[in-house]
Amino acid sequence: MQSRIKQFPQLSSEALANDQIQKNLLGLYDGFHKARISASEATPNWDELSDRGRAIKEHTIENLDYYLEMVERTVTAAGGKVFFAKDAAEANKYVVDIAKVRGVKLVIKGKSMVSEEMGLNHELEKAGIEPVETDLGEYIIQLADETPFHIIAPAIHKSKEEVSDLFQEKLGTPRMTEITDLAMEARRQLRSKFINADMGITGANFIVAETGTVALVTNEGNGRMSSSMPKLHIAITGMEKVVPSIEDLGIMLRLLIRSATGQRISSYVTTITGPRKDDDEDGPEEFHLVLVDNGRSKLLADPAMRESLYCLRCGACLNACPVYRKVGGHAYGWVYPGPIGAIVSPMLTGLSDGKDLPYASSLCGACKEACPVKINIPRMLLYMRHQLAEGDNYPEHKSAPFGEAMTFKLWRFALSSSMGLRVFGGMARILQKLVAKDGRITKLPPPLSNWSKLRTFPALASKPFRSRWKG
Amino acid sequence: MDSKEFIANVRRSLGREVGAPPPAPPDDTYLALSNQQVESKAQAISRDLEANADEYMALLEKSAEGAGWRVARCKTASEAANHILSIVRDMEATSVLFSGHSALDDLHLDAALSGTGVQLEAMVLDDDSDKKAQRDDFRLKVINADIGITGVDYAVAETGTAVLLAQKGVSRVVSLLPPVHIAVVEKGQVLPSLDELFTLRRKEFLNDNLGSYMNLISGPSRSADIEYQIVTGVHGPGEVHMVLIG
Repeated sequence: MQSRIKQFPQLSSEALANDQIQKNLLGLYDGFHKARISASEATPNWDELSDRGRAIKEHTIENLDYYLEMVERTVTAAGGKVFFAKDAAEANKYVVDIAKVRGVKLVIKGKSMVSEEMGLNHELEKAGIEPVETDLGEYIIQLADETPFHIIAPAIHKSKEEVSDLFQEKLGTPRMTEITDLAMEARRQLRSKFINADMGITGANFIVAETGTVALVTNEGNGRMSSSMPKLHIAITGMEKVVPSIEDLGIMLRLLIRSATGQRISSYVTTITGPRKDDDEDGPEEFHLVLVDNGRSKLLADPAMRESLYCLRCGACLNACPVYRKVGGHAYGWVYPGPIGAIVSPMLTGLSDGKDLPYASSLCGACKEACPVKINIPRMLLYMRHQLAEGDNYPEHKSAPFGEAMTFKLWRFALSSSMGLRVFGGMARILQKLVAKDGRITKLPPPLSNWSKLRTFPALASKPFRSRWKG
Repeated sequence: MDSKEFIANVRRSLGREVGAPPPAPPDDTYLALSNQQVESKAQAISRDLEANADEYMALLEKSAEGAGWRVARCKTASEAANHILSIVRDMEATSVLFSGHSALDDLHLDAALSGTGVQLEAMVLDDDSDKKAQRDDFRLKVINADIGITGVDYAVAETGTAVLLAQKGVSRVVSLLPPVHIAVVEKGQVLPSLDELFTLRRKEFLNDNLGSYMNLISGPSRSADIEYQIVTGVHGPGEVHMVLIG
């Protein structure tokens, strides 16, 4: 997918000015955020469960080389095929090549964020193959030619009127006012696609190393459909999705689903181990698992960023974030929005390109509190800010402008000695006469002008506290 | 990319030497349990199920309702068959498919539904004739069926879940494509939580009996993708019945 992370300032301003998006964002708080809180409160020992989930992820990521070897062995033993793709281009090529060789015309897709990352639909279309998204939200944004707005609810920024207009334009259906009618129309449209598709593509929420099993979590049944109906099934996911044992799934499913939607469990959880066996009634004849790096090994290689790979993609940090809840998912300019997106998107597509994203946070910590595996998102955002300013471990991404760097050097000098404070305080008191009015500073000259764009500063008192204090 | 190269890159990223042997199998995960330990965990679960079958059934009744199943608690198999008959009549079904689960044998659905004019058929492959032709035939039938009836391999009280495992006579889609699914649960099949389910699945894996898939079904197909409003029956069944026997 084309990255627009450079455009965060512009895209976020547009979202803030869009009344429809602002209105639809309001529902996130009641719709998902509160549901997550009551689900976690209703789960006995949630905190302990969370610690165990984190420990499983930490252990697996720290030994990912070992577990990836195991996955390759076990999926193959179950009759499937594993392909390791170092980047999106390799993963796309693998899938498109299989489709071409097998003469595939129509592909049905369950929801997969990694395939969004790869821009797979575009590549399939270029090869003359029709990809059809079947998750309702993904179907809507595919028709609208947009990108997902939210990890688990991709079209949540659209009102039912907008969806009705879209269906009218693209499918020629009459105007509909009921959400149920819109959903049933999608069911009708997609049913024939499920029946006629030659290939099904899904994501995978977890991969069990010991058994070579992939787990799919859905509510609509698009994952079951896509993995059962066509004769060929390809699951695509990030290499970090591994857990060691099938016994880990109990913990991980509780954490993921309760954090995503607040349900105790989703309508469907499907585990798949290889293609259908000879005795099976039905199911695909061929199964492939595509594991994608696409920049994840960079996160792995930096111990300070490694825990971002624990992410279950539940979306809880999005719903908790006061910034996401105002600017929405498209402002972040790539597949992954919100607090975790502010980490993952710049790290996968170019830190200095996404230099505004680590700053799109008040560091309030709501994301860390919401995270079912306790990922310390604010710590990593601060670390990324540090790297952007100082460039210690990412010198090629150092991007603080000279003026800003100098300003902070002076600031540090001014605040770290009483001499500095005296000298700079005195200078500032004189200089502010140029900009202060009625005890307020509303406009600063460059290079400080950005600080006063959206806020007013109180002017310095004419006599410093130090000289007023009579100890 | 060659898998060796890919994994070597992961190993380097973790700060380990590529030539070095892979780390020893971890001893702080479930993988460290011996087959014997898994077996005895599984036996403890079985004993617990026998001792507390009534309690777990009652818990399931409640949690399944919470998950969106229409639950009927029946004392006997014939009571359950009658209940299924009333569902078939209510929706004026003409085509009903059922799986090869043994729990359904006791219901004698043929007899119960005789006289309704409904086309009732088992979705079970016959080993002696051409499987491809049968599969194609089943596919057409299940696409057009009104109701799919299955037993379960387990149920989970914590989550209100019906668990269907891959085995002969159990189609992946008989519980998915028809607009109505009926799942029949017998006493003694109900596990307290997901943890017991996955322990048993691990045991089955170690006994080389994991199967190619498992479906956990917890209520109707649903979506909240438009304006957070929950709609049922998006791709899977919009109406699901759980019939508890015993």
